[in-house]
Amino acid sequence: MAMEVTQILLNAQSVDSTVRKHAEETLKQFQEQNLPGFLLSLSGELASEEKPVDSRKLAGLILKNALDAKEHNRKFELVQRWLSLDMAVKAQIKTCLLQTLSSPVTDAHSTASQVIAKVAGIELPQKQWPELIGSLLSNIHQVPAHVKQATLETLGYLCEEVSPDVVDQDQVNKILTAVVQGMNAEEGNNDVRLAATRALYNALGFAQANFNNDMERDFIMRVVCEATQSPEVKIRQAAFECLVSISSTYYEKLAPYIQDIFNITAKAVKEDVEPVALQAIEFWSSICDEEIDILEDYGGDFTADSNVPCYYFIKQALPALVPMLLETLLKQEEDQDQDEGAWNLAMAGGTCLGLVARTVGDEIVPLVMPFIQENISKPDWRQREAATYAFGSILEGPSPDKLTPLVNVALNFMLSALTKDPNSHVKDTTAWTLGRIFEFLHGSTVETPIITPANCQLIITVLLQAMKDAPNVAEKACGALYFLAQGYEDIGSSSPLTPFFQEIVQSLLTVTHREDAGESRLRTAAYETLNEVVRCSTDETAPMVLQLAPIIMTELHQTLEGQKLSSDEREKQSELQGLLCGCLQVIIQKLGASEATKFVFMQYADQIMNLFLRVFACRNATVHEEAMLAIGALAYATGPDFAKYMPEFYKYLEMGLQNFEEYQVCAVTVGVVGDVCRALEDKILPYCDGIMTQLLKDLSSNQLHRSVKPPIFSCLGDIALAIGENFEKYMMYAMPMLQSAAELSAHTSGADDEMIEYTNLLRNGILEAYSGIFQGFKNSPKTQLLIPYAPHILQFLDSIYMEKDMDDVVMKTAIGVLGDLADTLGSNAGSLIQQSLSSKEFLNECLSSDDHLIKESAEWAKLAITRAISV
Amino acid sequence: MADEGLVSHKRDPIKSSVGNAAAQRRRQHAVTVGKERREALMRTKRLCRVRVSGDSDDASPDDNDMMIEEDQSILEAQTSSAVEELKLAVAHQGKGPTQKRVNALRELRRLLSRSEFPPVEAALQAGAIPLLVQCLSFGSPDEQLLEAAWCLTNIAAGKPEETKALLPALPLLVAHLGEKSSLHVVEQCAWALGNVAGEGEELRNVLLLQGALPALARMLLPNKKSTVRTAAWALSNLIKGPDPRAATELIKIDGIPDRIVRHLKKGDDELATEVAWVIVYLTALSNVATTILAKSDLVEVLIEILGMSTSLQLLIPVLRSLGNLVAGETHITKFVLVARHDLTGNAIQALVKCLKSEHRILKKEAAWVLSNIAAGSVEHKQLIYSSEAMPFLLDLLSTAAFDIKKEVAYVLGNICVAPAEGSGRPNVILDHLVNLVHGGCITGFLDLVRSADVEAARLGLQFIELVLRGMPNGEGPKHVEREDGIDAMERYQFHENEELRSMANELVDCYFGEEYGLDE
Repeated sequence: MAMEVTQILLNAQSVDSTVRKHAEETLKQFQEQNLPGFLLSLSGELASEEKPVDSRKLAGLILKNALDAKEHNRKFELVQRWLSLDMAVKAQIKTCLLQTLSSPVTDAHSTASQVIAKVAGIELPQKQWPELIGSLLSNIHQVPAHVKQATLETLGYLCEEVSPDVVDQDQVNKILTAVVQGMNAEEGNNDVRLAATRALYNALGFAQANFNNDMERDFIMRVVCEATQSPEVKIRQAAFECLVSISSTYYEKLAPYIQDIFNITAKAVKEDVEPVALQAIEFWSSICDEEIDILEDYGGDFTADSNVPCYYFIKQALPALVPMLLETLLKQEEDQDQDEGAWNLAMAGGTCLGLVARTVGDEIVPLVMPFIQENISKPDWRQREAATYAFGSILEGPSPDKLTPLVNVALNFMLSALTKDPNSHVKDTTAWTLGRIFEFLHGSTVETPIITPANCQLIITVLLQAMKDAPNVAEKACGALYFLAQGYEDIGSSSPLTPFFQEIVQSLLTVTHREDAGESRLRTAAYETLNEVVRCSTDETAPMVLQLAPIIMTELHQTLEGQKLSSDEREKQSELQGLLCGCLQVIIQKLGASEATKFVFMQYADQIMNLFLRVFACRNATVHEEAMLAIGALAYATGPDFAKYMPEFYKYLEMGLQNFEEYQVCAVTVGVVGDVCRALEDKILPYCDGIMTQLLKDLSSNQLHRSVKPPIFSCLGDIALAIGENFEKYMMYAMPMLQSAAELSAHTSGADDEMIEYTNLLRNGILEAYSGIFQGFKNSPKTQLLIPYAPHILQFLDSIYMEKDMDDVVMKTAIGVLGDLADTLGSNAGSLIQQSLSSKEFLNECLSSDDHLIKESAEWAKLAITRAISV
Repeated sequence: MADEGLVSHKRDPIKSSVGNAAAQRRRQHAVTVGKERREALMRTKRLCRVRVSGDSDDASPDDNDMMIEEDQSILEAQTSSAVEELKLAVAHQGKGPTQKRVNALRELRRLLSRSEFPPVEAALQAGAIPLLVQCLSFGSPDEQLLEAAWCLTNIAAGKPEETKALLPALPLLVAHLGEKSSLHVVEQCAWALGNVAGEGEELRNVLLLQGALPALARMLLPNKKSTVRTAAWALSNLIKGPDPRAATELIKIDGIPDRIVRHLKKGDDELATEVAWVIVYLTALSNVATTILAKSDLVEVLIEILGMSTSLQLLIPVLRSLGNLVAGETHITKFVLVARHDLTGNAIQALVKCLKSEHRILKKEAAWVLSNIAAGSVEHKQLIYSSEAMPFLLDLLSTAAFDIKKEVAYVLGNICVAPAEGSGRPNVILDHLVNLVHGGCITGFLDLVRSADVEAARLGLQFIELVLRGMPNGEGPKHVEREDGIDAMERYQFHENEELRSMANELVDCYFGEEYGLDE
């Protein structure tokens, strides 16, 4: 059955595109006509020592791709295809694969190890290939180091592919033993030791039982710690990565080792090469993540069962940890501020310092202040920058009481550094620190204001000035202004920013026009800051926001008048259009919120809508998303008059609903359908056939990202609310779909937290659909049509109540549906309701809820039921 | 491909640009706005047919449905003009315009009862309060008083600052509680005052100074159900404290203790619920009240309701009242809930019923009451120990949520120790302890030891101490070790709480020191 494929595989890598295309075509045909033969030939090629390395490697890659795909549905198909292959063929392929592991050719055995893991990922959950792990482990004792290496790599990939619950503890023990032995210092071969260390990283998830056993845990930890001392950089790095993973997976087991780990990490941070030192810092960041989570769970009373206690590792290590981190801040790179992907010791150290501050709060302040005072005025820019960075990093976590006095002293210094410091790094970090001050210590909830009538003008002048500085500095100054504006969000009728509003808006617009605004994401920052300034503005400045509308519209218009552009230019153009649509969305929302401004603004509505429709002609997901959001805001502001835009807008609405690939666009469009429903009410009816068809298609598609489905259900409710009894004709399609989704989401047993969260979103969507349908039909002569569905809906409510895993949002919506059912069906459903569990225990539980939204819904439901029963 | 190694961890730097997060937040905000509008629309639709109670007799269905589609801003505009109308009506003196005033008041009251978001702010801005106060003046016709008080009731149900706007009206509302007023007016005024008292301590103190308490208390004396219920509800808001003086003042009023117990006993569920809340605050705040009530037959009544009722609304305050009494007054365990008395058996049975309930508050409070009974005499401990409560308690200790678990642990702990003689360590009640340990309670207590709640951890450690010291044949340490207890205690080696640290360290040193395990 097998066929000679060497030449085809070599041709498929040819530089000559005709040859290459032909070979690819041949391979494709072979695969389609005779899949078993194709796979056998590939595995034979991979296993054969006589074949050239290039053809063997490609054979392995094609095999791998025949077993797995990124896309979920494609992956499922491939798995099914493999499972249905003839046993004998599969056995032969697997023999070839295992045989390849012993090949001295690195590319061959390394590719084989990945393919084996893919096969294992499919077969082990089916309880097939039981002998695999045993035969791999028997390889471990083989003499040639490369066999050992290949085997360990295979075990590592296998642990990555397979879930721990399909491997027996006995086999887990053996895998871990093999891996840990391979990591041991006595292992002379570095390649083997590295492969073992990387394998352990993947195998850690399997080691639950072993970490519960003191002896085994001690042993694993000792070996990992020893590996951090290896002379080989890659081994040290891999070992630290293991420690990072252990810190989050086995936090509660770390106490006995934490002192040793501190010593090891401290030494690595001080002396080792950067990739290793970064992992050492990451260890402590990860411990902070854990403790922040645990302490958050502790917060308030102990109603949440916090299973893991906090060991306060950070608090205990604080006196040594903080100086270690402060030291790293002085190791900046010259141009890190211009490089968006930069990640170095100083950045990691500051990030970790910020996490430490959030973990321990006030206690960090006295440990950092001396460093700041010592370095803030030094001639070396590195020292000034590090001191400022340290200050900025600790502003979240400690209490305002502790920070405010320090900030009051520092503020003037910072403002003058932002204007006068000769170094751009220092200015960049200073502007960022000001932003952090405003983010965490300024706002309506802060007791002692940092910004006063005395310093407000100076702050704004300095920030606007800094917006003319280098792009990275200007970007940070925008950020500071963003948080400054946000702090006045709830200020009431009069804002301290009012006198400067015009100047601020003008300066931000100037920034967006800077030639270098494409650098350091400056343009984005300027527009988003403008948005926040507008969003948080008060009625006093409404006339100026009104003036801003035509300015932004003109800018958007100009982008649409463009000539032919290169693809690079087009991408920049799209980004700008997205930003402008975003800005218009905020302006529409702001002006639409009050009757007076809405009235004046409406003169622009036609033009704006026209611009948005033209924007849809450009193919770019982000732009579509932004334009859709803006149209949603416009629909709300326009109300029923929005109907006049529908004939033209409808096709883009439909396009959005069909956009499976860029599912965010689809999700936003679903939301806009809801906005339009509320604006148009029954005037949306002519478009409903198309919209409903599309929505139902979306629901039954398994290509569409699952996160879009709950909002689609809610959207069915929006439509029903808008068109009332006219929803009748969609019932025969919508109701069965709701019913089967309800059945699927009723029970979550055995699901993980993420799945439960998703199920609750789904339930909420389904319930909102039911509410919309009931309320839509209310008072119509056709309510009878709903009676046949009532038993199932009540049963759904009962079963999610029994399941005891719904969140507060679902609880509120669910009890509301009970009321809607009673409200609409009245005495027709009286006895049904009385028989349901929901109308008794569930309702009582909601009535005595602490959550006032639940209580409110429940009280309403109770009233509706009383009426239904009494009639 | 293998050479790529692992994907290195890189987290988001703390110093990041503002743009990305800001855009994310902005889009999220837009989505939230959509959700809020959906909810607002749903609210209006639901309200369409809901008629505010009392409205059905004088509002035609048509005009009700007309209100349906109106949105809040129209409602507000109508409210302002209704207040203007009232202003005109009040300005007209003399007899003729009485009907005009009543009509204007009724219109305003309807608007204020109309939606879930009554246009209170609009009414206040239009200057409703001084007009309403004027309408409450002495000698006004009942209908006018009723409508004015009703308007004020709805305003008082608003936001805190809106409730405070009622300050100028309070003296007249209290005055109209007097004996000469008609019952309708009295109830409506009490309702308004109850809303005001519920707002907060500051307003409660104002009302107490103005004599609202005796006036409301007097309303408890007759037997008209709706009057008593409203008064009880208003009183429970008024005596909420935290200052205990109001509660003490109430209980000292002649006839009140008697009436309260009687209403609780004879009233229907709704009435009993409101009265039970009054008892909750009396017994929680005032020692005087607790002592007086302990001597009445209140405890019997409470236990009876606890055993019979299925109304969750009623059970919660009843259970809490019983708990307050048992915890606050040793008289109860010494003389009323005597160990050999039937009543005590009934009490425990009723509490077991609550422990079995699905409702967490009931479970928790029932365990709390039991722990107080278990703190009584050795006979009490034996009684609980031999009751059907035990299997439930053991089960809850291992499966319940933390707060319930903790209360249950108090019950079980108390059952195992006899009151200490002198100041020494408490004596172990051996057979209780042995059976509990064999029932598997150690794991539950060790969970407490591991918790971050200092009180729970102390309780856990105390129980472990009992086990270590008290189990016969020195088998305590083995039990503790088997459940990973050493590990649990060793966590305290460097704990910041000194008391827990030394407790745990002493236990480990004393029972698991160098000698431990040598003899095997």
